[in-house]
Amino acid sequence: MNIITINNLTKIFNPNSKSSRVTALNNFSLTVNESTIFGLLGPNGAGKTTLIKILLGIVFPTSGTAEILNKKIDDYLVRKHVGYLPENHKFPLYLTGEDVLKYYAQLSGCSKEGLQEKIDSLLKLVKMYKWKRTKVKSYSKGMMQRLGLAHALIADPKIIFLDEPTDGVDPLGRKEIRDILLELKSEGKTIFLNSHLLSEVELVCDRVAILHKGSLVREGTVVDITTQKEIYEIKINQKLDSEIVRKSTEGFSFSQKDDYTLHLKVESPEQRDKLLDKFRQNGISIEAMLPLKTSLEDMFINLIHETDNREDNE
Amino acid sequence: MNDIMRNIYLITILTLRETFSRKIFIAFFAISTLSLITMGIILASVDVESFMSFFGQKAQNNEIILSEILSGLKLMIVSPLFGFGLFLSIFSVSSLVPNMLEKGNIDLLLSKPVARYQIIIGKFLGGTLVVFINIAYLVIGMWILFGIKFGIWETAFLYSIPMITFTFAVLYSLIIIVGILTKSSILAMMLSYIIFIIISPILAFRENFYPLIDSKATEIIIDVLYYIVPKTSELGTQMSDLSISGGIDDFQPILTSLAFMILILYFSIIIFNKKDY
Repeated sequence: MNIITINNLTKIFNPNSKSSRVTALNNFSLTVNESTIFGLLGPNGAGKTTLIKILLGIVFPTSGTAEILNKKIDDYLVRKHVGYLPENHKFPLYLTGEDVLKYYAQLSGCSKEGLQEKIDSLLKLVKMYKWKRTKVKSYSKGMMQRLGLAHALIADPKIIFLDEPTDGVDPLGRKEIRDILLELKSEGKTIFLNSHLLSEVELVCDRVAILHKGSLVREGTVVDITTQKEIYEIKINQKLDSEIVRKSTEGFSFSQKDDYTLHLKVESPEQRDKLLDKFRQNGISIEAMLPLKTSLEDMFINLIHETDNREDNE
Repeated sequence: MNDIMRNIYLITILTLRETFSRKIFIAFFAISTLSLITMGIILASVDVESFMSFFGQKAQNNEIILSEILSGLKLMIVSPLFGFGLFLSIFSVSSLVPNMLEKGNIDLLLSKPVARYQIIIGKFLGGTLVVFINIAYLVIGMWILFGIKFGIWETAFLYSIPMITFTFAVLYSLIIIVGILTKSSILAMMLSYIIFIIISPILAFRENFYPLIDSKATEIIIDVLYYIVPKTSELGTQMSDLSISGGIDDFQPILTSLAFMILILYFSIIIFNKKDY
């Protein structure tokens, strides 16, 4: 079931000004399934935060429509089922951590019954229970981020939007947040994650979308996106002899990674089989042959460069 | 309590807590408390006879004269309170809306199931309530002290509480719209002070300037301006009259200021409803 549906969303800031007109989103469409962790990636200024803000009624779209839980986003009551951790959020500094959760829970429509237990359990989950009676003004950035996560979860939302949730959190804390996200997913929640930390996105997201200059440039599962289907990594169980390698790979584009590993580009499955036959004919025993995977980060950087170069050439 | 009322209530309470967390309101409370203690000590240390003779009256001239003296004394309290109290109140609430609109703060509010108009109404009620509490604390305190000492419990003195609060509410609506439009607390504060201290008193005495003006059109423009701009100066005069005599002769300044407040709040909501944050 689609829990978020976005159709041809466009957002232009200052549309009537020539000098400050900015197209933050350009005809953007997307769907997000229930009980998944969806990662939205993109360089600074790509339109990621604008997209989340439109979905949450903080920014209004110039054109296009969007639905959350099959309800139009301009119905503010749909936000009863949504949790949100904005980037650089500011809680009222004169409140304690506990007060913050109590206040926003009530504003989200939570009843007072059982609220204290819920607050305590969330503060324990994000390891902030010890500081629940401390005023927010004394919190560090990491503590604010943990409290922010608890705040996003307080109303037991069906969808949670997280904008840079691990910003300012130490590596141990990041791991804990990742574990929380995976646990939430197993409970059936949908998580929409904006993050610059691609290695983290790779670890937790089921699907990702890459946004660049307001347009969607790639969308798919992390495996699909990071797998380069036309390049194979071949592992040999003997040290490679350069003459044999040359003979076996004649007509193929290849690079040698180390004494036992080659990267070869093949155009089709038939070519791949032909390559295997050549190796065997030359007496090379193949230990493994797998499509080459790149990291999400490498793929992201290449994709953004490719898109920029294409635009420059046009 | 339905959802709408609960949301407005929650935002009102948070605004109240925000203002009470500021040093300026703590100072306001401290000054009020100090004034009450000082007045309490003075009243406790003098008897009624010496009090009346201090004002040149004989004790046997009784309750009517005592009541008149008290009225003058109360006027000496509420008139500065109107000016000084409003000055401090404007200063302390002018940043409420710009603070709320700061990035990272407004996102948290708008992402909740709360309509934007509920936020504006909550902010307005919260700011007004905090001024009401402050003014009520001082005025009721003085009223009790006078009542205990002289046995005269005139309720007219208490009318200064709604009058000062109302005048503040009118100016606060202006602070809200300027805050929404510019996100600047300084601009909001300056505009309120200009109306409160300069424009409103000048317009209240506009008829005195007419002999100096040749153009009828200019007179009309000044008249129109007079009816548009909140009449804080006349509200102040009416508050003084009301707290002494308990009556109002002319409701026009109250009604036109009320209309100004409602219209400005309405426009604030319209603008806030259309803005991106």
